[in-house]
Amino acid sequence: MSLATDDLYQDLVLEHKRAPRRYGALAAPTHEAQGRNPACGDEVKVQLRIEDEQVRQIGFTGQGCAICIASTSMMAEAVEGGSVAAARALQERFRAVLTGQLEPGEAALGKLESLAGVRGYPSRIKCGLLGWHALMHALQEPVR
Amino acid sequence: MGDRLATLEAGCFEGLAQRVHGAPLAYLDNAAITHMPLAVRQAMDAFEQRDRANIHRGVHALSQRATDAFEAARAALKGFAGAGPAHELVFTSGTTDALNQVAFGLSDSGAGTPVLRPGDEIVTTALEHHANLLPWQLAARRSGARLLVLRPDAQGRLQADGLARLLGPRTRVFAVTACSNATGERPPYEKLLALAAEAGAFTVLDAAQAMAHDVPVLGKLDCDFLAFSGHKMYGPMGIGVLAGRRDALERLAPLRVGGGMVEWVSEDDAGWSDLPARLEGGTPNVAGAIGLAAAAAFIDAAGRDRVAAHVEALRAHAVQRLAALPGVTVLSPQASGSAIVSFVADGAHPHDIGTLLDERGIAVRTGHHCAQPLLACLGVGPTTRASFALYNTHDEVERLADGVAHALEALR
Repeated sequence: MSLATDDLYQDLVLEHKRAPRRYGALAAPTHEAQGRNPACGDEVKVQLRIEDEQVRQIGFTGQGCAICIASTSMMAEAVEGGSVAAARALQERFRAVLTGQLEPGEAALGKLESLAGVRGYPSRIKCGLLGWHALMHALQEPVR
Repeated sequence: MGDRLATLEAGCFEGLAQRVHGAPLAYLDNAAITHMPLAVRQAMDAFEQRDRANIHRGVHALSQRATDAFEAARAALKGFAGAGPAHELVFTSGTTDALNQVAFGLSDSGAGTPVLRPGDEIVTTALEHHANLLPWQLAARRSGARLLVLRPDAQGRLQADGLARLLGPRTRVFAVTACSNATGERPPYEKLLALAAEAGAFTVLDAAQAMAHDVPVLGKLDCDFLAFSGHKMYGPMGIGVLAGRRDALERLAPLRVGGGMVEWVSEDDAGWSDLPARLEGGTPNVAGAIGLAAAAAFIDAAGRDRVAAHVEALRAHAVQRLAALPGVTVLSPQASGSAIVSFVADGAHPHDIGTLLDERGIAVRTGHHCAQPLLACLGVGPTTRASFALYNTHDEVERLADGVAHALEALR
């Protein structure tokens, strides 16, 4: 069994890749943004319905590698129904783990811990963070 | 099926003998960069040890030797590219530099009226690497010329009648690749260049992917400007060639101005040197030029036809195995004269396939390969690309196909 299969492609990751959660366009988003990694062709659009600083609804569309899709799917699951502040805090912790600045066990990541192995593959870190970048941009981009 | 090319001596390519993640390296990313044989590295080391000096005919002994070595490399490469008395050869830092030189040279108005005038037309193709597209986008903007793009058919092939429809009385430039780096497709460039030349256009050939195994012969082509890189033909990085008809090269305004390319300089004006010096401003990569000439000699010693037959057989083998895998589409499967195989797979992204192959010591490239317009024309996103050199083997092709099969199972 190769290392990458263990580190990167755990069952949970593959499950989210094959059946991503919250995949699809929102009917009436209040915020949205696109993330793109031209080098590898990953492209995700994140849409949000935010009311009273709460993420009522989140959806994403796009295409990308297993790491990108799984990460965005787990992200969507984790932030929907919570506060914008909690989403921002989770993004900071997840990013810190993927860039090797924080140990996964200390980051309270829940299911996202299954993606911690990405920190060992520098060329894949952008994949793991693409949806999150789109989320952060979306928070700054109210739909007019 | 042949194995490692018989002429390779042990230790010729030491870097390939390493292990990656516990498996023997299978280096299948030669379209990005090839490894250098010992003979090339030795030629460069010998220069650096004995003859290292700046060129441009200094009066001291080492400078003379360095100049002689540089000029000998120039002559050798002219021979390799099939240049004749009407051609000249200029050293650049690579294909990208060479193509930028041509596009700038035809469109710049800094030192006089440029060749390209407002309303003139530049034709290039959707098969191009960005290095043979972006300089033309800028040349069009700079000069007021129009940029037209010849699109491939549904199989990714360029057709001569498609080009004929785009050529007209205002066509001044036609630029095309000798081999698509993204798919391995070999356009009928001899015919396309001839059509464009007949229409009165300057012709530009990007030969970066062809020089290692399918060398265009300048003397037999309607080719004004030929560009290629050392690092894709068993030579060093940071060196390339712009070769072509002397009367076409004469028309280029220099891109890199400064030392080594002037006859005289005053405070507010300068007079350029003759070719080739005019287009070689600054200290060149002299060791690189020597290494590139050694690489050309290495290819000829191995035999161009033998190298071509070997890499083409590897490609055909790879196409056969990959196309048989479920849900895999090989791009340009019919391409002949190709050392590059590119594919997409349902439910498996190239990035993931590439990482899983790397885990088995197999090096391939994934993504858009600096050819976004082509992949968009073909309706595909990023691809996984394997590309072969004379040191690759059929066993490595089997490892590639087995590795892809395993990756597909793991990901789907």
